Parts: sequence; structure tokens; C-alpha cells
Amino acid sequence: MNSEVKVIQPSGILDSLQANELRREIGDFVSAGIKYILIDCQNVEFMDSSGLGGLVMTLKMVRKQDAKLALCSLNEQLRMLLELTSMDSVFDVFQNSAEFDQTLVTA
Amino acid sequence: MQYSGVISVPYKRDLRVNSKLEELPYILSWFNRLNKSLVPGLIWIQCQTALAEGFTNAVRHAHKNQNVETPIDIEVTVAETSLQIRIWDQGPEFNLQKKLQSLPQAADTNAFGGRGIQLIARLTDDFSYTRTESDRNCLLLVKHFLPSPPSS
Repeated sequence: MNSEVKVIQPSGILDSLQANELRREIGDFVSAGIKYILIDCQNVEFMDSSGLGGLVMTLKMVRKQDAKLALCSLNEQLRMLLELTSMDSVFDVFQNSAEFDQTLVTA
Repeated sequence: MQYSGVISVPYKRDLRVNSKLEELPYILSWFNRLNKSLVPGLIWIQCQTALAEGFTNAVRHAHKNQNVETPIDIEVTVAETSLQIRIWDQGPEFNLQKKLQSLPQAADTNAFGGRGIQLIARLTDDFSYTRTESDRNCLLLVKHFLPSPPSS
């Protein structure tokens, strides 16, 4: 596996509390030189607007350090929330982690 | 309209929770255990999301200066063609419509948070926030849908 890639799998409810934790964790990875972060949401059941806000802050932080952040395996609620807030155009979203891996191969 | 099956419509369920964000998982699982057979899947998910935003708004804003034990009351009513959610808080009187109008109209993709009200407006067909006679506020969220065809 590419040493510059890190996959994170949060679970349950992605609210402000979880999103803050995620942001800290990803901040550490990016500081350590990780270039590609994938948040695999297959175990995330629900996200609220504060969770989404936390993800946007994380995305900004990652981009500022010339790294990339992507999401994959969103359930219907997460997809609905991203579309409704027009955030689906801001994040790179993949069907699953295999599709994300494919983009790294072809990059 | 007569229903011969076990589903009783409309139905009304209520729940009382404390004023803390940690109640959210409990509220969501309670909501998900309600009878959703008459409600289209996407509508249910939108209502669940609106419920979460309404509850966290009550904790963060209406009950900002109240202690954790201050109750928040939730009531869900499912009818043949609509789903209504009511959330009562004991916070100060507040003009939600005025607040909503003061926010930028377009979706701000740079915004971090504080967009719960706008999200509620997009998720629902109707919503209101009114002062009740018992000095509480009631957030009403309404979603309409087409009746599901008979299963037999």
C-alpha cells in the first residue's frame, strides 16, 4: 500500500464531537507527510450539519498543506445532506475505496 | 380511509430528553424504530435529519443558558400524507423567520456551521417556531408525501 495514503473509517453518528476528533487525527497524518486521506464512511450511519461543518474545516486544513481528502461509501442520508448543501461539488466522493484506489493508480 | 392491516394511522409518539448533544444517538434510534412503512425512504431520512438539526439547535441556542436537566420534548405524528415533528424547548422567545431571512440565501460552501436553520428550511415543506402559552417554544417541521399504494 502507498505509504502516502491513509484510510480512516469513522463509525456511528458523525456530529461535531466526532468531526473534531477526526480533524485532529487527520491533522496529525498530514503533518506526518501523508498526501492522500480517504474517509471511508461505510460505517457512518448519520451526519448532521455540525459534522459536515467539521468535515469542511478538515478539507480546508488538508488542502492548505497540499494534501488531498476524499470521501467514499456514503449512505443515502450522507449523500442527501451533501447534495442539499451543495457540498457534493466541494468534496471528492467515490463509490467505495476500490474506486478511490483506482484514481491513485491512474494518477 | 380504512386500513385493515396492523398499521394504525395516523399515529403520534413522543419522547422527552435532556439538553445535551449526547442524547442525539438515542433520539435517532428512537425515531428509526417508529413505523416508517407509510413514509417514502428519502422523506424519512430528510425528516430524521431535520429532527437532528432541530434538537441540536434547541441544545446549542434555545437552552444555551439552561442546565442539562431542562427537558426537550419531541413529538412525531405520521399521517397518510404527512409527517410532522414538534420540538418544544424552554428557551427565550426568538424570531426564527427573521433570523433565517438575515442569512445569505445561496448555499455557502465555505460555511462551517450555524447553518442548521437553513438546512431545516431546505429539508422540510413547512416549518414554524412559535411561542406557546406555557412559555415554551415549539419548532414544527412538516413534510408532505404521496400516499403509498395498498400493498395487497
